[in-house]
Amino acid sequence: MLNTIISLLKKSGVHAWEVANTKTQDWEFYFIRHELDQNRVKQVEHINVRVYQLIEDGKFMGSASAEIAPTATESEAQALIDDLAYRATLVKNLPYTLQPVTEAHQARREQAKVDVPRIARDFIETMTRLPETATEDVNSYEIFVNKITRRFITSAGIDVEETYPSGMIEVVVNARKGGHEIELYRIYRSGTCDAEGLKKDLSRTMQYGKDRLRTIPTPALGKADVLFTTSDACNIYEYFVKRTDAQMAYRKMSDWQIGTPIAEDIRGDRVTVTALRELENSSCNQAFDGEGAPIRDTVLLRDSVPQRYLGNRMFSFYLGLEDSFIPSNIAVEGGSHTEAELRNGRYLEVVEFSDFQVDEMTGDIFGEIRLAYWHDGDQVTPVSGGSLSGSMLDFVKEMYLSQETVQYNNLRIPALTLLKNVTVTGIQ
Amino acid sequence: MKAPFSVYLTEIKGGLQQLIRLLRREYDYVSVLATDSRGLAVRISQHARSVSSETMTTERGIVVRVRQNGQYSEYALNDFDPADPEGAAERISKALSEQQKILAVTNSKVYETGLLSDEPVTLFVEKETEQLPETADVKALVEQCTAISDKAMALGEDMIECVVNAQSTHICKLFLTEHRDMSQSYVYSEGVVAPVVSRDGRNQVGYESVSGLCGPELFDQLKEKAALAVRVAEELLDAGRIEPGEYDIITSPEVTGLIAHEAFGHGVEMDMFVKNRALGQEYIGKRVGSDLVTMHEGALCAEDVTTYAFDDEGTLAGDVIEIDHGILKTGICDALSALRLGIAPTGNGKRENFEHKAYTRMTNTIFDSGTDTLEDMIASVHHGYLLEGMESGMEDPKHWGIQCIIKLGREIKNGRLTGKTVAPIIMTGYVPDLLGNISMCSADRQVFGSGGCGKGYKEWVKVADGGPYLKTKARLG
Repeated sequence: MLNTIISLLKKSGVHAWEVANTKTQDWEFYFIRHELDQNRVKQVEHINVRVYQLIEDGKFMGSASAEIAPTATESEAQALIDDLAYRATLVKNLPYTLQPVTEAHQARREQAKVDVPRIARDFIETMTRLPETATEDVNSYEIFVNKITRRFITSAGIDVEETYPSGMIEVVVNARKGGHEIELYRIYRSGTCDAEGLKKDLSRTMQYGKDRLRTIPTPALGKADVLFTTSDACNIYEYFVKRTDAQMAYRKMSDWQIGTPIAEDIRGDRVTVTALRELENSSCNQAFDGEGAPIRDTVLLRDSVPQRYLGNRMFSFYLGLEDSFIPSNIAVEGGSHTEAELRNGRYLEVVEFSDFQVDEMTGDIFGEIRLAYWHDGDQVTPVSGGSLSGSMLDFVKEMYLSQETVQYNNLRIPALTLLKNVTVTGIQ
Repeated sequence: MKAPFSVYLTEIKGGLQQLIRLLRREYDYVSVLATDSRGLAVRISQHARSVSSETMTTERGIVVRVRQNGQYSEYALNDFDPADPEGAAERISKALSEQQKILAVTNSKVYETGLLSDEPVTLFVEKETEQLPETADVKALVEQCTAISDKAMALGEDMIECVVNAQSTHICKLFLTEHRDMSQSYVYSEGVVAPVVSRDGRNQVGYESVSGLCGPELFDQLKEKAALAVRVAEELLDAGRIEPGEYDIITSPEVTGLIAHEAFGHGVEMDMFVKNRALGQEYIGKRVGSDLVTMHEGALCAEDVTTYAFDDEGTLAGDVIEIDHGILKTGICDALSALRLGIAPTGNGKRENFEHKAYTRMTNTIFDSGTDTLEDMIASVHHGYLLEGMESGMEDPKHWGIQCIIKLGREIKNGRLTGKTVAPIIMTGYVPDLLGNISMCSADRQVFGSGGCGKGYKEWVKVADGGPYLKTKARLG
């Protein structure tokens, strides 16, 4: 069907077109405790087509998109493309060009060898070798192992194909004491199975479970320094990435200017963010983004000064950005303090939220505290309940990052992040 | 008009029935869910406009469920050839056997489960709609959305953008087993107006939505929403921060719906009972709320985005009273979990799409109305907040904690709205306390279906929720 669609598009007379063809082989295993609840196989192909039309002698350009099923007949595909060609004339955007062919598109690339059964076996075996105890154990887990082959073809001459692994495991951990049982939820994404990483993090999670059962209510701290030591910190750094997004900048939803510090009077560590082509075992190690743009190592923010915007083709073109792309892997440089130095004085270390959020539009942060450690000198007290809130507009002025870094799938970030003067609503 | 059932599904039905017969030689249960859902999405803003045939629920494919030796397995594909069911049967059998080798080598035990019921059911449902997304007047819809966005831009001096989304999906699903032949076709639509305002580097977003079990004709209602959405966005810019503490609150129907969804929506999804992941199973027959709390859940208890005739496992849709005057009566359940729990399924087995596993999922989750007026409720508050607009929520079914992110709070002092607003608000608490403190309910109620719901952080499905204004107490921060 793919060849038929491309042939129809070439004959269609539309201004431009793109086709994304994604084939996925997916093995899934669902376990309750360590008994198989269900196993699943997915073998699917998706063909997504976008058509562009010039309007009013090129003053505007419109686009329309659709998925064409691999089971569609040629006449169905023709009708859909005709429809797209018409619909694209109905929406007026400023014109832009599609991603041109570059040397990167013409270079030969080694395709990843993805052994789905082997990766699945690694996940299953890893889960049976965790240090479970009578009081902390695994409730259930779901394993997803994907081999994805993605081809991207455009009327501008791009025709690239990549194969890569994408794995995910969702794990629920229980901890119990007396008649009381609680759960902790984790979801991990990676390329293949990161057995050591999983074991390490789930062991730590079990300890958190144990600690949560001996918490006292979070005190009403008013304002406190809050230390992030888990993957929740990723949300903080994704805010920085979003604020340098070409779309956010063009639509004036981000007021960050290239070459101008993101805030006045920055007293804490300055933040350096780089988009990376590859991170070890990331599930996002692709050479091209979803619009065919080559991905390369690019500094977004250096010492809290935006260096450049990145983003999709349309808004990058509007901003006149060369070599732009949609970033996939991100690295944030470590800060000025060691972990030991950051763990000093009075601070709240939050390790479990109901759902920690950083609103990329407003900068507001929220999270209900399920487990935190209140550090007061040498005294450490596990606490639970209440919430924290505040605004990144304030926190960017004084935050501290550890020198040590840690990787969560496609983000490598400081292992510890300290935000100053966070509002903590306690329940005591 | 009736929403016509898919020609494609009708054409492959014979091949699917043959596939079932072939697989039944090897497996003791075989079902097929086949989908062909088409859509229309118009997204208009001041800087980017697009038309797409894809929505959150458009799809075409099939998922085959089989059982062998007490083990359930599934295979999802989207290249089924009705002329070659033998090829599909061979491919499914081979792939599942390959998986079996991995399970054997890892010594994985199976959670053995009985045989799903296959009592004969024949059903063909085509629900009413005025328009279909696949034949809608896209030009008129683009013009309509563009006019709304343009008009909204002129309504506030801090406006920098106004996003208008209108999407409609024509759902067609076919469920087959040896003895079941069920077809349904219906259309749902949803629209959003989201103005963005900015002042001194601070952004805020308003949000007003419409949704319903109907076609693109729904979008006529969007234009009435623009002015309200802009007003709220501007109010958010002027809002102060709340002094953290416990307050009397009045929840608007949208916030009431969020509480319903997070408090005893997820909390009584009974696949969680199978995993011993929900405290709710220990509270069946016990009090979890005040006498004023009655809560329904089911595809049949409202007409909105998820009002289907049968679920993704071929169970007929229902209307379950989960909480009756404060007493937790029952939960909702998919077919496999029901089998494991020894109860009847409730018609809540849903998939993100044919590629995904079925879980117990919500449909319409709604608090019953009461007899109070909003005016009386406000008059009864000494110091508290009227909470409006929802951002997100998260539950903890094992511990009954709840987190709701609320857009805006309107201060009430001495029985009157003071005109002072606070935003944003994080509402947290213990579910039985939140529901136990409900002391007033308004007589009206509204249902909202523009959002989606995840299981954990994945498996996104359409849901609707709502209810009346409620008065209770909660911790706000």
